Amino acid sequence: MNSSDTVKINSRLTKRRHFKRNTAPALAMAGPVTFWMLFFVLLPLLYVIFISFMSRDLYGGIAFEFTTENYTNMLKPVYLNVIWQSIKLAFFTTLICLLIGYPFAYYIARKPSKVAAKLLMLIMIPFWTNSLVRLYSLGLLAAPKGFINIVLQKLGLISEPLQMLHTNGIVVVGLLISMLPFAVLPLYASIEKLDKSYLEASSDLGARPAVTFWKVTVPLTLPGIVASIILVFIPSLGMYYVPETLGGGKIMLIGNLIRNQFLVTRNWPFGASLSILLILITLFMLWFYTRVARLDELEVF
Amino acid sequence: MPKHKRERKKRIGQRIATGFALLIYLFIYAPIAVMIVFSFNDQETNYFWNGFTLRWYEKLFYDSSIVEYLWVSLIIAVSATILSVIIGTLGAVGLVRFEFKLKKLVNQSLYIPIVIPEIVLGISLLILFDFIKLPLGFIAIILAHVTFCVPFVIIIMRGRLAGLDLSVEEASMDLGANRMTTFFRITLPMLLPGIISGAFMSFTLSIDDVIISNFVAGPYSTTLPVKILSLVKTGLSPEVNALATIMILVMLFGILANSIVQAVLRKRASTVIKSYF
Amino acid sequence: MKTMKKSLLFLLIAVMVFSLSACGGAAEEEATPGELNVYMWSEYMSESVVQGFEEEFNIKVNFSYMNSSEEATAKLTSGGGDQYDLVMPCDADMTALINGGHLAEMNLDNIPNFANLGEAYKYREFDPENKYAMPYLMNYVYVIYNPETCPIEITKYQDLFSPELKGQISSITGIRNLFPIALVALGYDPNSSVESEIAEAYEWLKGYMANVKVLSSDDTEQAIVSGECSVALVFDGQAGRAFEAVPGLKVADLSDPIQLGVDELVIPANAKNKENAELFLNYLLDAEVMAENLIANPYTCPNVEAIKLTEDSYKLNPAINIPQHMKDNYFLQLDVGEAATVYDEYWTMLLSEQ
Repeated sequence: MNSSDTVKINSRLTKRRHFKRNTAPALAMAGPVTFWMLFFVLLPLLYVIFISFMSRDLYGGIAFEFTTENYTNMLKPVYLNVIWQSIKLAFFTTLICLLIGYPFAYYIARKPSKVAAKLLMLIMIPFWTNSLVRLYSLGLLAAPKGFINIVLQKLGLISEPLQMLHTNGIVVVGLLISMLPFAVLPLYASIEKLDKSYLEASSDLGARPAVTFWKVTVPLTLPGIVASIILVFIPSLGMYYVPETLGGGKIMLIGNLIRNQFLVTRNWPFGASLSILLILITLFMLWFYTRVARLDELEVF
Repeated sequence: MPKHKRERKKRIGQRIATGFALLIYLFIYAPIAVMIVFSFNDQETNYFWNGFTLRWYEKLFYDSSIVEYLWVSLIIAVSATILSVIIGTLGAVGLVRFEFKLKKLVNQSLYIPIVIPEIVLGISLLILFDFIKLPLGFIAIILAHVTFCVPFVIIIMRGRLAGLDLSVEEASMDLGANRMTTFFRITLPMLLPGIISGAFMSFTLSIDDVIISNFVAGPYSTTLPVKILSLVKTGLSPEVNALATIMILVMLFGILANSIVQAVLRKRASTVIKSYF
Repeated sequence: MKTMKKSLLFLLIAVMVFSLSACGGAAEEEATPGELNVYMWSEYMSESVVQGFEEEFNIKVNFSYMNSSEEATAKLTSGGGDQYDLVMPCDADMTALINGGHLAEMNLDNIPNFANLGEAYKYREFDPENKYAMPYLMNYVYVIYNPETCPIEITKYQDLFSPELKGQISSITGIRNLFPIALVALGYDPNSSVESEIAEAYEWLKGYMANVKVLSSDDTEQAIVSGECSVALVFDGQAGRAFEAVPGLKVADLSDPIQLGVDELVIPANAKNKENAELFLNYLLDAEVMAENLIANPYTCPNVEAIKLTEDSYKLNPAINIPQHMKDNYFLQLDVGEAATVYDEYWTMLLSEQ
């Protein structure tokens, strides 16, 4: 056996070892998700991008003629206004869910893990029934002849039924009820692993609880906070059925605008371009978060 | 005494926290309570309380297809959850641990199913399935659900993974355990809370989905939410409430039965062990 | 936490066992001679009628449920219709489906009961040879009001514009439901494609919106039943439900034409059981069968022979028994072609300004 053969065998061996140590596990772990995303997400997305540059034919089919009109169309004030309204509502929803979800997740995470699992289960159970029926039930509860009004009237607190249905207040409650678990679950996963000794150290060093919270707890759970912001904000951008069912329905958000393009007006190219816009807004937001919150250091993305 | 004071403060704080949590649960459960109460409402359409009746349950009892829809929904939700959790957990670890060419692309594409409107995802998946000649129905719905559940699992898992001390893994491998053992013995248990959160989320998303399911469904694959939404179109009948109530009861029953079975198994296991001594 | 793992395992096994048994069940069903896959609304066809068909022809009818005509249409245009033999979009979507080539031609020779339909519902504009669409049941859109609380008398759409009705109206929603009403109120063609007319209709709707308190598609009648509103623009099916809950409500006697929507049964282009579909269509169009169907589904019906056989409970139903001059003076939703995008832009403007 000459030396070059040995080198060859050696290099083959290292290669195989390298494969066993690095490539095989990488393939096993990241392979399925890569395949799934490429095939079931990016492939359809390519189609959506493609039709966003086509035009609508007379009866609502796709005419294969290139145009950028669908994108320039969006710059009309009417559509910009819709986009702005949607961002506002999503921001508001996220803020409320976070303000209420954080202390709630904190409360659950401080319980023993068995109790915590049950408490989490309790928050999810209502979501295992139909969300539409839940929203309508909330409407029945707040209706002029609903339970709340009847009780308040019987107690003599009010003489005329309170107007709760079709107000902003009930929309906020509806949004909260629909989105809260999306905020609580990632927060829980993140707070649960918080090392209690850090908090004790902080308070032993004389820090007031509020200071400990802002200087220790929040930074350490930032990845969970970011995850819950993403999971609440992004779906909220397209969500329109809560304001539609509880708020009186006189609303146009990007979600029902896109729905109209695909179903009613059958202007698929314009609907596709609006969907691309939503994706771009999301990517921009993620970029913004990573820059501002310096999350790249935390390996969240 | 400052210590006394601190103790009392702590106790008050805990009480406030418990009260707050109770309030949240009240908020979430109030509509459920109304939903259940109105499933007994003696009115063709639910407008206001009009008296007690069991006829809606009776009607559902004689409608054998309801059980079928419920099973279809459960099978789809559980299958989609299991697949999503496996793909998502492996994927989350893989995407943090390894460097590869498509990593950035995959990372960013994760947000697409979350942000893209359901109608667009539904239609584009329908076109994809039609293109690859996958028959619409069961399998198609599961594949579609996994597509929108995986990103949620991964994002939750990342919140868990970030900053988690993974040097234990290296220690395990230094001590001679191989990658597989290390993953199952060390990594997985550390990730478990994230996995549970992800599983809850996937199940919830899948069991409630209507729009995407509707696009990729075929004959014999009507899920309960699809049936409910179609029922809603001909009036918000208490029957819909009864259906939703049954749905939640079946879930609760499943959880309960499961914990009883396990309690029995555990008891038997402990007696078996005791009998050895 | 270990219990969690076990529960997942438990569920997994349960699912596997069930899916195996489900597969077995499906295989058995394929053995029956005939089947028919129908994709339509839930609670919209009497079970006894379907059973009668299954027994008479030894064909199993499987129902899948849709939740809007538009979604069913989108599904058909994206290649999702192959597994169904009958689908139920509404007449307004017919032009898009026919021109897109998504429907199979029916053989009218196999459907002799076609003769039972009223003349107005045969050979319509969008389907001049009646090859594609078979009307099933229909709905009018009209105004109902509470005589005790409604401050004015409503005889035409323009009355809905009255400042006295501020915050008093509960209305159905949708581009194709509201624009035609505005156009009719202004004296234009309800399916106009003239931009200046659409713009005027938009201005009219802006005034109408000031009076509208609730805009919804599924539970429009809820607000008039609960007393929140005194007037409602509704589908006749919703009106029927409202009358049951509050018998005092009345239909406004309108002199303007009202909208008529027809739920059509169509056969998708690649349907596998086309003959069975035609058999079922013929069966449904039978006067006696349809009359029986109307007992559980008291909706407006295009089958004139069937109506003759109905009981008083149907004929005198306040939601159906509206003045004859209203029934005759109707308009249909037609495809507006390129103007659809113009409507869409004005509609978006209308709602985003609220």
